[in-house]
Amino acid sequence: MDMVSMGLLAAMGALATIAGASEDLESDVGSQSNPNSQVQLAAQVGHTHRIYNKAISGEPPSNALYAALAAVTASVLMSDAYGMNAFFSIAVGSLVAAVFNGILSMTSYMGRNTSQARFNQYVYLDVLRSHTTTIMAHAYITAFCVVAISYIMTAPWLPIQHPFPLPVIAFTWGIALGAIGSSTGDVHYGAEREFQQYPFGAGLNAANSGDIVTKGEAGLRSSIDNAWFCAKFGGPVTGLAFGLIVFLDNWRTTIFDPATQGWYAIATGVLIVVLLNVYNRILEVRSKKRYGPYPEYAGDIKA
Amino acid sequence: MSVAAGGGESKIDKTKLTMYGLGGGILGIYLAHVLNMITGTGYFSFLAGLGAIAAIVMGADAVRRVCAYGIGTGVPSIGMMAMGMGLVAAWFGLAVAGIAGPIIGIAIAMGFGYFVGMLANKIIKMNIPVMEEVLMSLGGAGAVVIIALSVVVSGQIGYEDMLNDVVLTGFIAVVFIAGALAILQPFNANLGPDETQDRTLVHAVSTGGLAMFAAGIGSLITVGVGGAVLTMLIAAAIWLKAFLWYFKLVKRDSAGVVGTGLLAEGGL
Amino acid sequence: MSTFDASTLIYIIQIVIGGLLVGIGVHFVPVGGAPAAMAQATGVGTGTVQLATGSGLTGLISAGLMMSVTDNILLIVLSGAVGAMIMMDVTMIVGNWVYIYGVGVPPVAAKVDYDPITKDPQPPYIGPGTVGHGVPTVSYVSGTIGGLMGGAGGSLIYYALMNINGVSGLSAFFAIGIFVVNAVIASYNIQGTIEGFHDPKFKRIPRAVQACFIATLIIGIFAVLIHGGA
Repeated sequence: MDMVSMGLLAAMGALATIAGASEDLESDVGSQSNPNSQVQLAAQVGHTHRIYNKAISGEPPSNALYAALAAVTASVLMSDAYGMNAFFSIAVGSLVAAVFNGILSMTSYMGRNTSQARFNQYVYLDVLRSHTTTIMAHAYITAFCVVAISYIMTAPWLPIQHPFPLPVIAFTWGIALGAIGSSTGDVHYGAEREFQQYPFGAGLNAANSGDIVTKGEAGLRSSIDNAWFCAKFGGPVTGLAFGLIVFLDNWRTTIFDPATQGWYAIATGVLIVVLLNVYNRILEVRSKKRYGPYPEYAGDIKA
Repeated sequence: MSVAAGGGESKIDKTKLTMYGLGGGILGIYLAHVLNMITGTGYFSFLAGLGAIAAIVMGADAVRRVCAYGIGTGVPSIGMMAMGMGLVAAWFGLAVAGIAGPIIGIAIAMGFGYFVGMLANKIIKMNIPVMEEVLMSLGGAGAVVIIALSVVVSGQIGYEDMLNDVVLTGFIAVVFIAGALAILQPFNANLGPDETQDRTLVHAVSTGGLAMFAAGIGSLITVGVGGAVLTMLIAAAIWLKAFLWYFKLVKRDSAGVVGTGLLAEGGL
Repeated sequence: MSTFDASTLIYIIQIVIGGLLVGIGVHFVPVGGAPAAMAQATGVGTGTVQLATGSGLTGLISAGLMMSVTDNILLIVLSGAVGAMIMMDVTMIVGNWVYIYGVGVPPVAAKVDYDPITKDPQPPYIGPGTVGHGVPTVSYVSGTIGGLMGGAGGSLIYYALMNINGVSGLSAFFAIGIFVVNAVIASYNIQGTIEGFHDPKFKRIPRAVQACFIATLIIGIFAVLIHGGA
């Protein structure tokens, strides 16, 4: 372990944190992934809305596309034939990814709303204009950070020498990032923001399915309001999740050289896993104690 | 989870689409290879891209057919599975069969698809009648798309060169995922009770253009600037045309395309 | 074309074991699908395939790095397993943060009255109109096991293929392809949602074992014949 590796590791963790946060907010502005099922349902149960409604094949594949595309463009520009500086290559690559993201988002919004014609769900062009750029901006940040992490792991002049080519590693992190974003931050959007008119401290009662908030403090709720809300909790914790994963996973192999101390690296990983299991138990016990049982519960089992 | 997926009836027959998809795909791959060989240039790589678009339309229609049934895990999974099978089959064909590689690869991918569909119905007991047939089309479409986009990147079919151009550079990542999304996105983006086949398929052409463009970016350093720029220009033109057409169909099908406005009365 | 000999047979067996580990591992991963994203069902709020693939591929990155410096199979496979477990555990912890602090619901399992590991009572904490929410201890432990098996399986497939063709990009993508096929077959078996090994759906595992075994065997036979160039 040397200072350079440690610094790079810290940079990777920081980049991953930003990538996670922007990925989650991108999916919140666009209402991608699982919470979108409620947006989809809303019109059917009589609540037409002005929420962005995009679904680009699930978050992992779509983020894998942005990351892989940005990485391919970057590695083309970085190659001997073009010889562009790595920083600018990644920036241009991320731009291409953001444009793809914008196109796919737009067609999803138009397609999904059009397929609900019988419920009178309109296609609002001003929603398309104002939101798509916001989504693209977030996608740009995500793609940039993921490719930067992948570049740090593969660049020939840096200490970590990962055997996978740059686009493949970016693809892999893209899949992982999408899976994390859809597992963590999206819940804040789906369970809390979409159903804010119901009391805090309960999941969505199945009877209220589709009854999402469609009106804002003044006027109608837009998806940018949703990103504003989720940026207070859902986005940052998603960032923390991806940051922790990238950091912890690479930390093991940075402090212990995998060639000579591979077993220590594995033992450290196992220790981290055990600690996380214990921490989850503490979380569960504390939350149950703090919140107590639901007053509506009428069964015989004592809490 | 999709509530009320399904969609309208099919106006274009699936056999016709499968025929055009496979035929167009194989034709595109071989034409690109042969013309590039004869002329000694990379200018004809775009033909493989056109073949990929044909196969993408076929795949998108297959996704559309199977998702009318509740498959339990959403649209993306089935496409990723098909691409996974298609990938192994396609590269097997290219590695062992030389010039016949694409055809062998596609045939094996369709075999994998049929087989996995049978496993899903017989052992997992999903009881989805179209599963075998749809996975067969999807596996075939996946293999065509992977081979065709790889040919766009490398310019020809020779295994060694493809290995260098597509795998060692890592461009296989974008070939895989851009192809997968091109097949999945059309139905996923148009999902809903008022989905129509022509709109979904026109959308497939536009996502196919995007996939071709993405592969074209990679070919900048493999087949040379001339061929790559030609591929990208043609892809962009196809995308633009399909996108405008798609927008026209959106206007035709939707309850209203409005500049701005308040909410309409919802519900049936 | 590579020759078919005893070592090829061993690689096929390794790939099949890897595929089976993935297929079985998916059954351990607690996912509630779309309802869980609305805190309406126990488990992580995403799809089975998505989460399993995300963790498996994180493991693949660790295994790939390890394989570039050693050829000890145990070290490579365990490295992948640990990477996948870390991904899965951090995701579940942060998921629980969102459920507990963002939505205000305690993690609770709905398929059992008492948590099989901690013996805590569950039903009083299930929100009205929902079937559980969050990732309780039993699901968390189950998810960790799922990550372990998924990561180990993916790495084993990668290890076998890498020994045949020696091209890391090719092996990684074939491993991803075989991984995804098994993950999807397994998630069809549980119809997309499961709470963990205490869920009644877990008993369907034999069907997935059969299906994954046959599917991986067939695809594996073709995959081992792909060489990495002269």
